[in-house]
Amino acid sequence: MHRTRIKLEAVAFTLPSLLLTLALGIYPIFWAIRYMFYEYAGYGTPKFVGLYNFERLYHDERFWNAVTNTLVYAGGKLLVTLPLSLLLAVLLNRRMRGAGLFKTIFFMPTVLSASVMSIVFYVIFNSYNGMLNQLLQQLGWSRGVEWLGANYAMLTMILIAIWGAVGNYMLLFLAGLQGIPRDIYESASIDGARPAQQFFYITIPMLGPVLQMVMLLAITVSLKGYESIMVLTQGGPFGKTDVMFLYVYKMFFPVASTTAEVQQFGYGSAVGFAAALLIGAVTLIYFYASKKLNSLY
Amino acid sequence: MARKWLGIALTGILASSLAACGGNNEGNASPSASGAPSGTGAASGSPAASPAASQAEPVKLNFWTPDRGATDHIKAEIARYNETNKDNIQVEVNIMAENYDQQLDIAFASNQAPDIVRVNGLPSLSVFVKKGYLEPLDDRLTPDMKERFGSLLREGVNQIGGKTYTLPNYGTTQRLIYNVELFEKAGIKEPPKTLQEMIDVAKKLTAAGKADGAYGIAGNLKSTGSGLRFADPIGMLSGMGSSGYDYKKGAFDFAQLKPIIEAYRQMKLDGSFIPGVEQLDIDPLRAQFAEGKIGMYVSTASEPLVYKNQFPAKIKWASALPPTIDGQQRGIVPVGNAGIFIGLSPKSEHKEEAWKFIEWMYSDEVLKSYQEDGVGISVVPSVLAKAGKPEINGIDGFMPTKFDAIIPPVPIVAIEGMGYQEALIKYILIGGDLDAVIKDLNARYNAALDKAKASGEVKAEPMPDFDLSQLQGTLAK
Repeated sequence: MHRTRIKLEAVAFTLPSLLLTLALGIYPIFWAIRYMFYEYAGYGTPKFVGLYNFERLYHDERFWNAVTNTLVYAGGKLLVTLPLSLLLAVLLNRRMRGAGLFKTIFFMPTVLSASVMSIVFYVIFNSYNGMLNQLLQQLGWSRGVEWLGANYAMLTMILIAIWGAVGNYMLLFLAGLQGIPRDIYESASIDGARPAQQFFYITIPMLGPVLQMVMLLAITVSLKGYESIMVLTQGGPFGKTDVMFLYVYKMFFPVASTTAEVQQFGYGSAVGFAAALLIGAVTLIYFYASKKLNSLY
Repeated sequence: MARKWLGIALTGILASSLAACGGNNEGNASPSASGAPSGTGAASGSPAASPAASQAEPVKLNFWTPDRGATDHIKAEIARYNETNKDNIQVEVNIMAENYDQQLDIAFASNQAPDIVRVNGLPSLSVFVKKGYLEPLDDRLTPDMKERFGSLLREGVNQIGGKTYTLPNYGTTQRLIYNVELFEKAGIKEPPKTLQEMIDVAKKLTAAGKADGAYGIAGNLKSTGSGLRFADPIGMLSGMGSSGYDYKKGAFDFAQLKPIIEAYRQMKLDGSFIPGVEQLDIDPLRAQFAEGKIGMYVSTASEPLVYKNQFPAKIKWASALPPTIDGQQRGIVPVGNAGIFIGLSPKSEHKEEAWKFIEWMYSDEVLKSYQEDGVGISVVPSVLAKAGKPEINGIDGFMPTKFDAIIPPVPIVAIEGMGYQEALIKYILIGGDLDAVIKDLNARYNAALDKAKASGEVKAEPMPDFDLSQLQGTLAK
């Protein structure tokens, strides 16, 4: 009787989120899997095309350009974000004045809307009269830099992504650091370990599980990110900042109805599936590598 | 124990409330729904509202539009209707900012569709009809409406398969917009009439203005959807087809656009473009023009209102017909978004009331206000005869001439790869082999067209006798 009641409670508590997950998470996946084999513009009868969407994907230069851009974007973001957020976490973990204020400042970008901030970044990076170029001009760099032009747009997007992510990962690292007992550091310092040695021989190994989790999160989030790019460059100029999920988005929601562009749900589903597979593959490689590292240490 | 059951009960309530979120809102939108369409005294059209009717809940209608540039005008008109109509109807307007089409998709899919739908651009009409967002109006059109709009009804413009889904209101004429003060400073007496003159003028304007941060030419080249907005006004006035489509051949031929694209590339090479043009959307472009930093660009009749309200112009500016390839005006300048306005949703539970509102919106009196308030230039002859010229600086140049006309639609096809606007903008910005770009575009667009024709999605027959010059004078003499 008691067990039945517990089961009933468990079902009652999990049912709402289960239903929502099924409706909003699982059903769309099956919907997309089905439409990968169809041509469908959102109206009329979907036309079965077999594997044509995948054949098209294989030859689609724009998709492969988006894949390359995604790897550059995610790689650039991760290379800077992870060390920087760890460094900030270590610094702010010390008993110092104003640590709370700095934590708030660094975490602030995480709670701000990516779209709104992208508009602010346009004001900063706009090459004609953006704040950054005006500053450079005042410093004597008369030509300024085309921050959102073909040569620098990806770099700018990476900088914005770093700005948006550092605070979040810093907070996760900080939580991990606070779980390391202080007496370990104290005994290490009595033994004569310098701060750098403490960092590499105590902090990093003891932060291992948190580090692995943060890296996993960072990899998947970076590979999926596209919001600020959509607002700031729409993937341009001419595909220089197009990333995988922005490309998928544009297949489902073309730029504007005032142009003769057609929704391509079938092909968009195939691209989305391929993108998910690629992210899955990268995540598996990471799992494999982190397992290897675990066995080494 | 009681707490546990309370927890379970609360969970149940939460679950049912979440489920209710997904349902339609028509129940709370209109308590009189059960009686609609003739359940209320007001709905029957009785002007003398009985005490019972006046006490009855009004019929609430939802009207969705993406016309945010005309927000003040629309809100004022709707408020006037809500105050004056004697049918106990209250219209709630929802002026969308972005992603109007996607929001409509979601609304129709979740049974929360508006009663009255603004058709958002010509390509939307066929898509909206195919998706079932619009109901044919033919049976509802009054003899008066048939007389006023009859000559303006065209297949692909406001009719699909011979059925009328929307009626015309206003359109946006297109012009070359120029900074009069910068022209004077550069010693240029009049706007360019040929592409070569345009190149030369852009160079001179840049030479005269560069020290003050002003450049000869701009375009909203960030947009892959409308960045090439200069191509049709210049090309069609020169006598060619629209959006790379050749009406005579019934096929795409982007070679038509070659001289225009080459001219813009030349202006890029000359350094006549404002720096950062590849990142310019239309609003940032307008903001720079209002500050006097741009010499000229091609755009629509929306600009006078923009330079009055959104970005008050600090300079003297004017507009003129766009240049042509060789100075000969063999065609017309297309009037943007003409022929379409609002339509009736087949999912409306208050179609009779919605139609009453639509009828009111299509009255000469209301349509007239759209022109007089500067929202756009009317394309309805009965309205043009009555409407005064809006009192907005710069509108004069946008009033219809014999060179402005409504054009036949271009087939909408699902292409593979980069769209023509993006591909040609890329050439303008970084160069390359234009012939190869054009060959590739022709191959992909025509393959998509053939496919769409084969499946019966579009009809695109060659019109060997098509001549744009015959459209001259169809809107104004």
